[in-house]
Amino acid sequence: MIKLEGINKTYFGAQPLHVLKGIDLNVEEGELVSIMGASGSGKSTLLNILGILDNYDEGNYYLAGKLVKNLTENQAAEFRNRFIGFIFQSFNLIPFKTAVENVALPLFYQGVSRKKRNQMALEFLDRFGLKGWADHYPNELSGGQKQRVSIARALVTSPKIILADEPTGALDSKTSIEVMRILREVNASGITMIIVTHERGIANLTNKIVHLKDGVIENIEENNVKSVDFERDIK
Amino acid sequence: MDFWSEIFMALRRNKLRTILTGFAISWGIFMLIILLSVGNGLKNGVNTNFADRAKNTYTIWSSETELPYKGHKANRWITLTDKDIEYLENHLYHVDEVSPVFSKGGTLIFEDKSKSVQVEGVKPIYKNIEGIKIKEGRFVNENDMKTKAKVVVIDKITAELIREKINSDKEMENPVKVRKTKRYKKNDVSILGQLVMINGINYTIVGVFEGQMWGSMGQCYAPYSTMQQIYNVNNKYYQLSFTTKGLVTKEDNENFRKELKRNLALLHEFSPDDQRGVWIDSSMLNALETNKIFNTINVFIWVIGIAMLISGVVGVTNIMRITVKERTFEIGIRKALGAKPRSILMSIVMEALIITTVFGYVGMFIGVGLMEIANKVLESVNAGKGPNDVAVFMNLSVDIKIVLMATIVLIISGVIAGIAPAWKAVNVKPIEAMNNRS
Ligand SMILES: Nc1ncnc2c1ncn2[C@@H]1O[C@H](COP(=O)(O)OP(=O)(O)O)[C@@H](O)[C@H]1O
Ligand SMILES: [Mg+2]
Repeated sequence: MIKLEGINKTYFGAQPLHVLKGIDLNVEEGELVSIMGASGSGKSTLLNILGILDNYDEGNYYLAGKLVKNLTENQAAEFRNRFIGFIFQSFNLIPFKTAVENVALPLFYQGVSRKKRNQMALEFLDRFGLKGWADHYPNELSGGQKQRVSIARALVTSPKIILADEPTGALDSKTSIEVMRILREVNASGITMIIVTHERGIANLTNKIVHLKDGVIENIEENNVKSVDFERDIK
Repeated sequence: MDFWSEIFMALRRNKLRTILTGFAISWGIFMLIILLSVGNGLKNGVNTNFADRAKNTYTIWSSETELPYKGHKANRWITLTDKDIEYLENHLYHVDEVSPVFSKGGTLIFEDKSKSVQVEGVKPIYKNIEGIKIKEGRFVNENDMKTKAKVVVIDKITAELIREKINSDKEMENPVKVRKTKRYKKNDVSILGQLVMINGINYTIVGVFEGQMWGSMGQCYAPYSTMQQIYNVNNKYYQLSFTTKGLVTKEDNENFRKELKRNLALLHEFSPDDQRGVWIDSSMLNALETNKIFNTINVFIWVIGIAMLISGVVGVTNIMRITVKERTFEIGIRKALGAKPRSILMSIVMEALIITTVFGYVGMFIGVGLMEIANKVLESVNAGKGPNDVAVFMNLSVDIKIVLMATIVLIISGVIAGIAPAWKAVNVKPIEAMNNRS
């Protein structure tokens, strides 16, 4: 599903910062992978490249067999819309839209009719227990509810991959478990999932842990999640 | 359809931004209308005040010479006589009809009321020369001239004073009846035939004229012959007024004035270079001076108007820049969700278009509405004014084409102003846009 070959990325600020120094990585369809590392190790940078939210300097990135390089804005938009679902640490919901409108937005860009997309959005909200909150604005929701809305938004287009950047970073541990349980369920339905985290507890709930350090992959750890681990492993 | 409902929703949900942007637009258009209409009102007001003087009339005043000439000493009074009238009428092609004017200040008394007035002894033709409009009765006629009748034509305000006096007298006589039936309305009572005393002589009022006087003095006209007899001036004139024909351009008038002066200098033996001797006043040349004032007002209005339009354009540009900047985060999210640049750009531009159009027209309606109300108020204020008062503002109006043009300029500049920053924001990498959380 995802194939990275020698990905390099430098931020050219006041001082050039070489963040990714040759990343090689394969992620198969249906995998549940976490990218772990200290703050500033380049996890978000890597995830943004995977999501085509940012570009890379060197190497090759294949998404579903297609080389993602020098895409036009429209091609990139197509990929993001049809292939990828994003979940962010700070939710990134549009503040002046209600929960159901936020969830329906990706479908708007697919040209789905208003009636259809509102119905689909409601179904997804219902799936995460948010039906009663559909007409609430983001600032009327708790952190966990907001993150569930953004998960619904990521899933509503039935993407091939979910990319989550510290999805539990802004949540308390109880809510974090809840969100991770949902993400595991989503993965179980066959959607490839990559979760960035700096918390071991979160990484332990994924099947494969990619350890990132100073812009290179240190090692890749296979992780066998038993259901008993679930509650105990979160701090 | 869906596209539009998306836009209207964004506008509705971001009320503050919408209203602030809209307000700036409305305000700009509103101020432009107010400015243009006040300017036009000023122009119309000044125009009306000068309208009575639009006829091309000349006035010659006798005066003292300044230079010695051909054995005459300086400071000699030049007196105009019938010879001058005869000469003007028969030897100068451009002179149409001449009337001498004899002016005398005095006091007009009606019963216990009195008022300072200026009485002018004139010939019947003076009515045409000065463009006097008769409101009631008639002007001085040939018969008055022949019989040296003691008749007088008075101005509207003085007439009002007399009318009020008559009314109050009647009320005193029969207060109940008058109040009950309200029979004596202001204009019902004719003052024609009433006797007034001016400088100790009784005159019969034969007419009331409409007219705008400068200052608070009343103005009366009496037959020239009557005045001549009363004040014993024989055929000496201090002022001659006449209408002209065939003088069209400024140059015509200036040449004619020179010719007139040269001829009078010859006739009365004073130096043609004398700055004094006679004064010659041309209403057309005066009007041209007035036109200069109009042109200045015009230029002033346009300069301010254009400055306002420019500041409006700058304002709209700034608002659009700020709006787009404020929306960068939202744009980032939309891009992450798969929005294409064109769709975002279109929605920003359309939002700008809707705001500027709707609020532009709101400003236009409020401005024009206020202007109409002001007009109504002005109308009643001006109606209450007498001929002694000058209407500074009159008939505020604004060329709706200009307003529409200004609105369109603002709309277009708003849209263009929105496109550049929007295009930039739309092409920012989504992650950068999303990090730009305001
Ligand atoms: N847009 C940017 N411009 C310059 N430097 C950046 C930018 N984004 C991230 N960085 C820097 O790159 C490094 C890696 O950042 P990031 O990928 O966000 O790390 P992580 O997500 O692992 O904490 C950090 O030192 C960060 O300060
Ligand atoms: Mg990060």
